[in-house]
Formats: sequence, structure tokens, C-alpha cells
Amino acid sequence: MRRTRTCLALAASALLFTLNSATAQDDVLVLDDDVQFDGDFSFDDDLFSAAFDEDNSTSNSSWFDGFTIKISQQFSGQLNNHGVELAPGFSFPREAELETNRLGANIRYQNAFAPGWLLQASAQVRVYLNDDYQYRAEGDSIDIESRGNELFLQRSFDRHSLKIGRQTVVWGETTGNSVLDVINTTEFRDFNIIDIEDARLNQWMLVWDYFGEDSNFSSFVNLYPEFNPPAVRGSPFFFEPEFNLTDYDRDSSLLFEAGTQWRKSFEGSDISFMAAYLYENQLRYEDPETGIGDAVAETNDFFLLGFSANRAIGKLLLNFDLAYSHDVLADSFSFPGTASLANPVNLKKDQIGSSLGFEYAISNEQSVSLGIQAQKLLDEDEGLLPGQTLINDGVFGSWLVRYSNTLMNSDLVISSTLQGDLNANSLLALVGADYTINDNWAVSGQIISITSNDESPLLFFAEDVRLSVTLSYSF
Amino acid sequence: MGNQTFRNELIVLFTALILLPMSVAAQDLSPREIMERLEDNQRATSNSALSRMQLSTCKFGVREGKITCAERPRVKSLESVGKGYGPDLKDTKSVAILLEPAAERGIGMLSFSYDDGARDNESWLYLSALGRVKRIASGSSDDETEPGSLFGSEFTTEDQDTGKLDEYTINILEETTEAGRDVWKIEMIPNEERARKSRYSRTVSYIDKERFVALKVEMYDQYGKEIKRMLGARVELMNDIWIARSTTIMNLVTNRLSNMAFLEMHTGIDVDDEFLTQRTLTDAAFRETELEKLRAQID
Repeated sequence: MRRTRTCLALAASALLFTLNSATAQDDVLVLDDDVQFDGDFSFDDDLFSAAFDEDNSTSNSSWFDGFTIKISQQFSGQLNNHGVELAPGFSFPREAELETNRLGANIRYQNAFAPGWLLQASAQVRVYLNDDYQYRAEGDSIDIESRGNELFLQRSFDRHSLKIGRQTVVWGETTGNSVLDVINTTEFRDFNIIDIEDARLNQWMLVWDYFGEDSNFSSFVNLYPEFNPPAVRGSPFFFEPEFNLTDYDRDSSLLFEAGTQWRKSFEGSDISFMAAYLYENQLRYEDPETGIGDAVAETNDFFLLGFSANRAIGKLLLNFDLAYSHDVLADSFSFPGTASLANPVNLKKDQIGSSLGFEYAISNEQSVSLGIQAQKLLDEDEGLLPGQTLINDGVFGSWLVRYSNTLMNSDLVISSTLQGDLNANSLLALVGADYTINDNWAVSGQIISITSNDESPLLFFAEDVRLSVTLSYSF
Repeated sequence: MGNQTFRNELIVLFTALILLPMSVAAQDLSPREIMERLEDNQRATSNSALSRMQLSTCKFGVREGKITCAERPRVKSLESVGKGYGPDLKDTKSVAILLEPAAERGIGMLSFSYDDGARDNESWLYLSALGRVKRIASGSSDDETEPGSLFGSEFTTEDQDTGKLDEYTINILEETTEAGRDVWKIEMIPNEERARKSRYSRTVSYIDKERFVALKVEMYDQYGKEIKRMLGARVELMNDIWIARSTTIMNLVTNRLSNMAFLEMHTGIDVDDEFLTQRTLTDAAFRETELEKLRAQID
């Protein structure tokens, strides 16, 4: 507990220090916000004359310019000492503790090395320091982990673009909870908000884009589909399983995924139709036949048909996604990262899902958005044994409301988010602040409060109050 | 020698003959015609044009009686390509790509600006974090940029808008001088429909009578309070177009200012229509190849 406080205090000090240094000034009278500007006032444009004096030639670029590097230090933890009652008379303690203390580097490289050719790669390295759960899982020793993200070669010619290598394909208009954003696997390892590009895992694919006169086609083939990785030992989502969870044993079977999207823009609106043959990103685990050994990982293939559209009306942007899935397994939760906890029902069902939402600019600084994701299994009772029920029966899904206020000309973004499931069994309340100190330095902080009843898997995190602070340097 | 003098006199005479009607005509222009001339000038800077700009933003204060930055400005450099479309090329399609800072490199914005007041302007943004193109509703945006602002600066899409003059009542308030130049002081008041979409209830522009460049624009909110002021400086003739190469917008509410420095502007560039599509935002290989072709036209 003391260490938690020390680390969070250090993070807060770093934040305050950087904020102070960012606003430091020399003999300049800083004006109050309510100062009045009546009539003329003197302004010397020479302040920016250096821009015209410098050699701004772009012809001296080198291959090294293609690198973008972000180094970040993150602390996060659970603050509220409490217990969670799983059943009458049975509760387990949830103590305040530091969960993550990690130094990370995200490296991105993009180089258009010849006309029509482009190489893009990205990778991340994490160093798990004292009291990080991975530090503890490694027997109290510093652990280093690296992961390759993107690595693709692109060739563009005429109206075509071909990309081969590790990459992501994103479908759907709704940001954050689209029913169509199911092509990439994801890893939500920690219980704090991370960049979506860190959560989406890239896969080996060939992507062909055709840019027509009035509309575009984008098609992909994935000859090595991958699956959501199991929770990392020690992480908030990790629960000791009865049998060890392993990767899928591919044997000699050839797995592949393929899909295509047609997209057209109208004045004030964009629409897309899509179709795909996919594997569910979440593996289903069965007990070993002999009762000993590792759990058996099973895949499930399904077909997806989708439609998405947006419509801008003044300051209002409406988003809509519709998905029809044929032969999905009827046993997954609506919150990502928790599906492997489900007790599987080995039934294939058709499912219809929709995400709809809006984004509205209250003013030039403030905006509010709403997203609702709802799904329903069709013929849900068909094939069930007497007394057997589905985990997701009826309409299930989640909703999200977000308000953001951009201050100091976007240097500071304050946001608050409420997210819950449609059955009102759980609620996540999040308050966040992102401050851009200068072109290189940024700091962000988030507090998440979780409420849940015993109908939701989030019961394990009920009454948690989680704080995270991240300081980053980009160059 | 005599012939030379005679020729010079002829040139002076012809110049006077050419300029005299223009000068007279300029004085006779209606407020609407003045704003059209100003906007024609503005459009010319983005019609078949490749520009490189530097955007600097800071909180401002006062030093020795002058407004100055109270902190080290945040600087972004960007490259912009635009082209005129529609009747009299009064609609504009443009793409702006951020070159610096490194953390924002490659973020691109595609904008279609329509002259017709009944048509809302359109914008799309590409963020690698989202992995897709996102339509931006007028005046709204995502976390990365201030709503409606140009890459987080005090310049908003509305400040750079052209067209839609039918939706304004335009009056000449007076003829005066600004920065040593003869100017028209012109007031623009949006009609009810436009006012609903605008942050400003009224703007007052100081338009150079000879060059049709805005030297100063005051922007007022619905309570009549001046909330922003734009100042144009370094007025130079670039590619036969008078342009304020350095434009500063001061937000008088937040005490922050942004300066846009036109480092390079090349007009008469042959811009392929396909470059001004969403492909440029997502297909980096295509974008870089086409940009090289455009840059080659300058060389």
C-alpha cells in the first residue's frame, strides 16, 4: 500500500513538475482570462519571422526521418480496500495495490522508399518494473517483453493498392464498440484505457484496395488467422483456470479468413457493405477428455454480412453499423477480455447485431457522444437441453456515453465516460485528463470506478477504484 | 534616346489607362463585390496549389506593451494541396497533411468547401490510431484536435471558409486606414440559418482597397463581445496573388494565438483529381508518390 502511494505520488509530482515547466515564462505578463481588449493593441508579427528565415526544404529527408518513437512510463493500480461477496458468506478481499509500473517504447517506421512503394513497421517494448504484476509473476524480477505490431510492404499503382504483411483491417463507423470491428484480434490485458492501436493485434494478411471513380473496394485474405491471447498470469483479468489454457493446435489444417468491403461517399454521408468468412477471435476451451492435462482450444468459423453508414447534419454525426453473423457460438460475454471465462454451450447460432451512435459538438470545445451496441441470437432456444440457458439470452450488449471538453486550445482534454451493459448489471465510470505539455511531452491520468451486481462477470471488480498515470515523450 | 523617352511615356500612359478604370471600379464596388474579390483572392491561393505552412500556437501575454508569446510556441508544419471545382471554381477540395511534430506525422485532413450556402462543407480525418477514415461533422472533431479547428490551432474551418456570401448581410462601415494602407471596413452579419452554424454573430474586416487582402478581422460573439481577432502581415505578391504570408489569430477569450506562416505557395500546379479523395488519407504509398510528382512540378 505504501509503495502504491509512493509511486502514485511520484507520478503526480512528475505531472505537476511538467505542468509547471510548461507554463514557465520570462518577464511576460500573463493576461487574465477576463481581460478586455478594447480598441487597438500592439502586436509584433516579427515573433514568427524565424519561420521564413529557416531552410524549410523537404528535399533533405533521409530514411531515418521515417521513425517515430514514443517512450512512456505508466503507473496504475486499484485504490479501494474492500471485499467482493461472490456468494452469501463468501467474499474475497480486494486490496489497494499497484498493478502496473512499466516503462514502454513504441517504435513506428514508415518509408516511401520508391515511387509507389512503402514499408511500414511498428513494434513495442515493455519493461516491467517493481510491483508490476508481471514483475511479481516472474518471481520479483524485472521482465522485458517485445512485440512486433505492423510489418507490411505496400505497392500502389493506377487505382490499386496491395499491402502484404502484418496489418489491421478496421470495419464499422462506430468508434470503440462497433459490431463490425471483428477482423482484428485484441488484447485487453489491463484494466485501464490504452490506445486502441496497442489493443488491436496485427495479423499476416494480403489487402487489396481498389479505388474506383465513385466507390472503393477493400478486400483481404488472412492465411494465418490468430486468436485473442489468454489473460496474462497476474493481470486483473487472470483467473486460475482448472486446466491450463494453451494456444490453438493447428495440426495440418489450413485456416483462412477472407472478406471484402464496398464503400461509397455521398454528400454528407458514407456507406459501406461488407461480407466475410471469419473465425471467431475468441477461442472456446473444452476440458481435456481424460480429465487431466491442458484445456483443448477449439475454433469456430462463421460468415458475416454487414452494412455501415454515417450521416453528418450540421454539428451532429450519426453512425450506424449492422451485422448479421451466421454460425457464431452462443457463449460469449459482452465485455472484451472476459469471454474465456464463459462456460461454453456448444451450439452454433445466427446473430444480428447493431451499433448506433451519435457525436454532437455542443460548442467548439465540448462534445458529447453516445454509442449503443445491441446483439441478439436468433432462435436462441433451439437446440438447448431442458433447463439449459444461454449466458446471452435476449438482447444483450453495451452502451457508452462520453463527454469531452477541450481546453487550452487542445493542450488539455478532459473527458468523462460512462459505460454499462444493456441489462444494467454493471457500470464503469471514467474520468480522464490528457495534457500535451509540448511537442514532445504529454501526460495523462484516469480514474475508473466500477459498479456491478452478481449477474455480471465484472462482479470480480465491483467497487474497484482504479487510477492510472502515464507520462510520455515522443520524437 | 528620344525613342526611349517616347516609349517610357507610352508605357506610363498605358499603365495609367489600365489602372485608372480599375481604381475607379474598385471604389465603386458594392460590399458584396468587395468580399467576392477578397474570396476570389483567397480561392486563388488554394486553386491548383501546393503550399507549405507552419502553424505556431501559444498562450499570449504582454511584454513591453506588446502582445507576445508567454510560452514556447507549439509548432506544426504541414503541406496542403487544393483545387477549385464547380461553377467559377468556387468550390474547393483540399488535403492537408501534418509533417511535424513527429507524434502527429501523417495525420491528414480532406476538406470539401462549397460556395452554396445550402451545402454543408465536408471533412474527413485519418488517424492511424483509429485505423480508418472518419467523417467530421461541421464543428465537431475527435480528441486529437479541437472541434472545428485546423490541427488544434486557433484557426477553425469557419475562419478559413469561403463562399456562402448569400447568407450574410454585408455593409461598408467606413473607409479608413489600417497598417498604413487604405482599407474598407466591412461588417458581415449572418442570417438566421448561418448564425445557427456559426460561432460569430458579426465580423468586421479591414480589406486592403488595392490588394483585396484582409489586414484585420474582428470576430464577435452573440453578446457583441469581440472573441477573436485576425491580423494579416507580410503582404506579398506570390505567384501573382497578393497574400498575407503571415496570419495571426488571437483568441481573446482564452488568450491564445496561432500564427500561420505561408512558407511556400505554388499555384498553377496540375493536381490529379484522384489526389483529392479519401485515398490520399489512407494510401500512404500513393500519397507520397503523388506529392513527389507535385513537388517536381515546382522544381
